[in-house]
Amino acid sequence: MKPVLVGIALAVALLASIAAAVTIGAADLAVGDVIGAIGAHLGIGTNPLDTLRDGIVWELRLPRVLTAAAVGAGLAISGAVMQAITRNQLADPYLLGLSSGASLGAVSVLLLGVAVLLPVAAFAGALAALAVTLGLAGAIGRITPTRTVLAGVAVSSLAGAITSFVIFWTATGDSYREILSWLLGSLAGARWPAVAIAGIALIVVGIPIVLSGRVLDAFAFGDTTAASLGVPVQGARWILLTGTALLTGAMVSVSGAIGFVGLVLPHAVRLIVGPGHRALLPLSALVGAVFLVWADTLARTVFDPRELPVGIVTALIGAPVFALLLARRRSEA
Amino acid sequence: MLQVQDVTVRAGSATLVDSASFTAESGTLTAILGPNGAGKSTLLRAVAGIERPASGTVSYDDADLLAMPRRGRARLLALVEQESATELPLTVRSVVGLGRTPHESFLGGRDPDADAAIDAALQTAGVAGFADRIVTELSGGERQRVMLARALAQRPRLLVLDEPTNHLDVAAQLDVLDLLVSLAREGTTVLAALHDLTLAAAHADAVVVLSRGRVVASGATAATLTPELVRDVFGVEAQWLDNPLTGRPLLAVRRLSG
Amino acid sequence: MFRRIVVIPATLALLAGCAATPPPADSPTADAVTVQNCGTTVEFATPPQRVITIKSTSTEMLLALGLGDRIVGTAFQDGPVPEEWADAAADLPNISDFMPSEEAVLDLEPDLVYSGWESAFAADAAGTRDELATLGVASYVQPAACRSAQVPGKLDFDEIFHEIDEAATIFGVDGSPLVAEQQAQLDAITPDDRGLTALWYSSGTDTPYVGAGLGAPELTLETAGLTNIAGDIDMTWTSLGWESIVDADPDVIVLIDADWNTAQSKIDLLESNPATARLKAVQNDAYLILPFASSEAGVRTVAAAASLVDQLKVLDLP
Repeated sequence: MKPVLVGIALAVALLASIAAAVTIGAADLAVGDVIGAIGAHLGIGTNPLDTLRDGIVWELRLPRVLTAAAVGAGLAISGAVMQAITRNQLADPYLLGLSSGASLGAVSVLLLGVAVLLPVAAFAGALAALAVTLGLAGAIGRITPTRTVLAGVAVSSLAGAITSFVIFWTATGDSYREILSWLLGSLAGARWPAVAIAGIALIVVGIPIVLSGRVLDAFAFGDTTAASLGVPVQGARWILLTGTALLTGAMVSVSGAIGFVGLVLPHAVRLIVGPGHRALLPLSALVGAVFLVWADTLARTVFDPRELPVGIVTALIGAPVFALLLARRRSEA
Repeated sequence: MLQVQDVTVRAGSATLVDSASFTAESGTLTAILGPNGAGKSTLLRAVAGIERPASGTVSYDDADLLAMPRRGRARLLALVEQESATELPLTVRSVVGLGRTPHESFLGGRDPDADAAIDAALQTAGVAGFADRIVTELSGGERQRVMLARALAQRPRLLVLDEPTNHLDVAAQLDVLDLLVSLAREGTTVLAALHDLTLAAAHADAVVVLSRGRVVASGATAATLTPELVRDVFGVEAQWLDNPLTGRPLLAVRRLSG
Repeated sequence: MFRRIVVIPATLALLAGCAATPPPADSPTADAVTVQNCGTTVEFATPPQRVITIKSTSTEMLLALGLGDRIVGTAFQDGPVPEEWADAAADLPNISDFMPSEEAVLDLEPDLVYSGWESAFAADAAGTRDELATLGVASYVQPAACRSAQVPGKLDFDEIFHEIDEAATIFGVDGSPLVAEQQAQLDAITPDDRGLTALWYSSGTDTPYVGAGLGAPELTLETAGLTNIAGDIDMTWTSLGWESIVDADPDVIVLIDADWNTAQSKIDLLESNPATARLKAVQNDAYLILPFASSEAGVRTVAAAASLVDQLKVLDLP
């Protein structure tokens, strides 16, 4: 299918999804009122909702939906890039210790009671874990994709162990719930600052990554071929890895480690438009955005008035889809 | 003309290639020969700019290849690796299209010559018939030719190949070598590491013989591959005669007796 | 829809043949006691003399019954005890700020571990009930906190008074004065009659953890004359999305105050969140505060309801 057509369809679907998701929620608000309220904020017409209900739409739902879109896009891009760089179709954005490092930062801050520092701590944790991973991979010799992945596994285990210890040592009954919600991934805390963090990361880091699709294609046959095609292999890998780490770190810092988006969605997109990264990256971003908007809408309404962490929904949907994709590959091989 | 001068490649404390020097004229097929481990691959990778030599120069028509910016070098020189595989279900056409990468600007789309170059490459390499098939479904020989097509799509003046006949059956081997010769006749400088003495002797215009990282001889094929040299380097008996089928020189080999 | 825990009234049950030791001379009732507690049959040949209490509700139950001298150790306490028992509680040894280990518990040679949370009786905490029993240590879970043996019904004061009675029987003391005292306190409460709605906000930032329809929070709120906005959810506590809370716009917010999660931090959060800042309770500072230890079912529940009523009287609501 022509990628451009798919892209346009997805972009339309994304806008429609955002518009629809904002009208859905635990509070029973009329669609027209929601649209009117948003319009009023944008300077069109008067607000039909009272301040409280307007607060629900403009301060709770809209930032949350926008953050879901940004995070979904960012994670999907990161997943696709990781799969290309490590030449491993089972890679996800968290491979290099990123989510474990972020979790350690976040959990520490939650337990110290300074939850307001959470995005900063999570981001710092992600980058620290990446630094340790790359350092470990390089300490043995030349950095290769395999070494990096293995180092990432080691760092993830270590960060995970420390996180578990910290939780065990200091958590009271109440904080277990918060920590679990963060570890599973949740958009419940997404307000306008989260939109800013995720949005800026997506624009400043995500867009350049998406434009480098061609470079990623060159990696298809390995380093030597890529080098012979004029790609600065080491430099490109470092830049892409760092970019992915920044992007993932930013997303994880606002929403915790939401799983399966970065792992499964690039595969689904590949099935439709093929593996060329020029199309794969932007389309994965769009699919990721639409997917997470709906997953989060489900998470906050299916057990209304209670809420699920969105990570549970993405896992419940993502795991069977992933199993299907694996089965397909085995039958093709 | 390709000029390789005193190229030395080290890995740790080991010297893989020691002060190698040779020249390859434009429009010729030069075969790099030598026993396993002699340093053929390493030398080729150094020439292609993939491995950084510890010392020495590589120049093409007086342009320093090693100092050239990567993309510029990739427009001039194309490398076909010994082994390259992918898991991705790419079509043959898109793989060949990768060869245009050095000609594309970073943000821009395909370059204007892309289609022409890709089609020509597909034709020349004989893979135009399955341009829309998925590479992972092809046989080893077909894949090898696709990689060759990719290299041709780069429109290189210097084509470097590392053991291009490795996975091919006899007919395909002859096809590839014929193709390399015709590319050479069109003006490309072709450099190929080959392990099959006879095949190389039958097609190459010149040879560079490596033993334990050193160039022990180089020059026109028949003049360089003397029976004495072959015995010393390869440990086999050799004799030149005429191929009754083609009328061209053939290097026959036999195990050393006694 | 409430169910009672099945308890064999202790005074009717006599253990046959197992009472090896004669009852201590100073215990008022010398009968052995058997209770069905949270799916386990617990037998007390004699009233326990060396008790370890886990969570404040257990400690305070004993203090209220005048049994502070039988406590050999406390663990995982939720806050200071009320003034009236402060002296009695002053010297109680604190084993751990969190769940104690089995070794630490056994080291004090208790004959009973009395816990306000069921989760204390796990291998990685105080020890499983079976294991403690084989070592001669009885275990008792506060019935209102029991989840494993039956689905909790809606908590009422009959249940709480029943628990006081059962505890008194186990310890061989008379619980009726305490029950009478609590009943009198309860009767003296005049619920607020303004028909106000309330949110019981215990913890949580992204997704608040609030009192729901079946447990101590609901009972406390109802007794105080407040309607719980989460009262129709059939759980004791539950996590609730902010959207539902904003939509319900409660008149007052009950904040649970704990060292690890203060009422002030919750106020700060409510005020800094642009959506909740518009809640009328936040705009009017209509906050009622309860210490954590009084927010779980126990001897302080009546006092908690009374406290809410008193705080409501002082609240300036438009």
